Amino acid sequence: MPINGNADPGQLTQYAPSMASLDTEALTLPDVKVLQVIYEIDDSVMAELLPPALHPTIPPTMHVIGLRADDGPLGAFTLAIVRVGCRAAVRPRGLPTRAVCTAGDAASALEQRWGFPITIGEPVLRERYDRQSIEVNDGNVAVLSAQLVDPVPIGNGDLLYTAGMHIATVEREGETKPWLVQVDPEFEVSRADRGQAQIDAFDSVFWDAPDLRPVYPIVASYTTANITLPRIRYICDPLQPAISGTVAL
Amino acid sequence: MKFGIFYEISVPRPWENDIEHTVYHRCLEQVRLADEMGFHSVWAVEHHFLEEYSHCSAPELFLTACAMQTKQIRVGHGIVVCVPQFNHPIRAAERAAVLDILSDGRLEFGTGRSATWTELGGMDANPDETKETWDEYTRTIPQMWTNERYGYKGRAFRMPTRAVLPKPYQKPHPPMWVAVSSPGTEIDAAERGMGSLGLTFGGFAEQEEKVKRYRSTIRNCEPAGAFVNERVATVNFLYCHPDNETGIKTGSRLTGSFGYLAAQLLPVREVHPTRSYPNPGLLAATRQQAAQNPGEGVSAPEGVCIGNPDRLVEEIKKWESCGVDQINFLLNALETIPQEEVLESLRLFGEEVMPHFRDDQPATTSQPRETAAAAAGGD
Repeated sequence: MPINGNADPGQLTQYAPSMASLDTEALTLPDVKVLQVIYEIDDSVMAELLPPALHPTIPPTMHVIGLRADDGPLGAFTLAIVRVGCRAAVRPRGLPTRAVCTAGDAASALEQRWGFPITIGEPVLRERYDRQSIEVNDGNVAVLSAQLVDPVPIGNGDLLYTAGMHIATVEREGETKPWLVQVDPEFEVSRADRGQAQIDAFDSVFWDAPDLRPVYPIVASYTTANITLPRIRYICDPLQPAISGTVAL
Repeated sequence: MKFGIFYEISVPRPWENDIEHTVYHRCLEQVRLADEMGFHSVWAVEHHFLEEYSHCSAPELFLTACAMQTKQIRVGHGIVVCVPQFNHPIRAAERAAVLDILSDGRLEFGTGRSATWTELGGMDANPDETKETWDEYTRTIPQMWTNERYGYKGRAFRMPTRAVLPKPYQKPHPPMWVAVSSPGTEIDAAERGMGSLGLTFGGFAEQEEKVKRYRSTIRNCEPAGAFVNERVATVNFLYCHPDNETGIKTGSRLTGSFGYLAAQLLPVREVHPTRSYPNPGLLAATRQQAAQNPGEGVSAPEGVCIGNPDRLVEEIKKWESCGVDQINFLLNALETIPQEEVLESLRLFGEEVMPHFRDDQPATTSQPRETAAAAAGGD
């Protein structure tokens, strides 16, 4: 059977939030700019990046995602996320290792209602004619610089975004422990570009995945979309295979 | 209705103790039995890098071994990947011709283009271009087979005039097929006068629609080869057991394991957005089968050929009524079912199910283009 992750969930929770409630209402964020840069990663450590509930994809992948909302119910914010591509049983998913968000309502909402592993910072999503980029600095050091180079328009329906499995500490039925919270936003895309993926800076220690190493670019996409963050419908025990450890709420 | 067997050659981890050798030789033993039981064809995929799911990267060699060990069963390339980074078209034509000669004219030639980033990325192929290169292959390979010398200058490749040798044993050339996984590809097959080689596990209603579209389109086709191969094949699982519940339970382990493995791969569409792959294709379809926990399934999904002979006869008659000409069966995945049980299942199917279905088509549909077109209602 496929390879399972072997990371101790306790080791994956350095930036994981505590979620006081899983009873989250859906929320639509209008006209969000979304940059996604996908790379293949070093396969020698792929199992160490995921808990036993999840399988690495074949080949193993990472997703760098930058979002910028210039307005909306959570106000203006910019968010950078690094995820490990994976499968929860047969479902395509991504496991965020860390996310950096500008301060404000968005940071706390994303953390507390949807389990994003948020750190406050100053990510910058730039849009140019020849490229779009997401950059994060830690002090004066660039810990992330990822780009889409040479964008070309594609169909709005050509894109797929995979759902996230956000590790968070949850109190449930009298027990407090880490759970994987399934967050499957809906994307209503109004404009989409595709281009070459390029990562110029990536500090894996900062992103709480010390052995994660991007090795081979796949593709990058840049879209404008209305994103609906969902009600939480499923959680999964990180220690059990998702096929048996998933719980419907 | 004809019956075939279909190989991905799935090899479970750990890949030690000669497991690949064992699995390959088990497959050959199954093929020998299928030949004895009167199966029409054995098909082998071409896949690369698909860990555990398919270790069948050189199907022409496996099929040559099949041909050497059997008498009647036809050997099906299901499919040759028609992308230059995988196979140069001249080499594809040459290898197929040799296999046709060595098998005494038993080759069925399937064409396709791969649907995973796992493979296309691994071969450094551009997913945007695979449909175009596949199209060129389907039109040029028959020319290489049927012309003494042939030259070409196109988008995917070019060649000065040369004699591509040897020529196939079947004249004018082996029947040609198109792998159909995404909805709409059956139209591509029909427009080119090629057989529709279904590779997804859909239900009856979906298949009936596909067959209707295929049959209506092929009447006005422009054949890529020298004749029209109007046939619709679909793929299915097979586990036949005297006790229906045991058959369904064991067969569900097979379907679940297969779907679970398929889901671990990276479909092009998931990571590389392109109009060339508008649908997830094979992998998404197989996931439907994997919705059940492998090993714990107790009910048989619509149309899946697991259970006792009576149930299988009933399901196959439904496929027949949808217009399907042939069903190709996957017999195992991950060695989930012990070899002796696979062989018993094949025997039981051959003895108690196959006699219910007339095989009223010739073994091959090789025929002059005009005859086939007329038979299909065209001019």
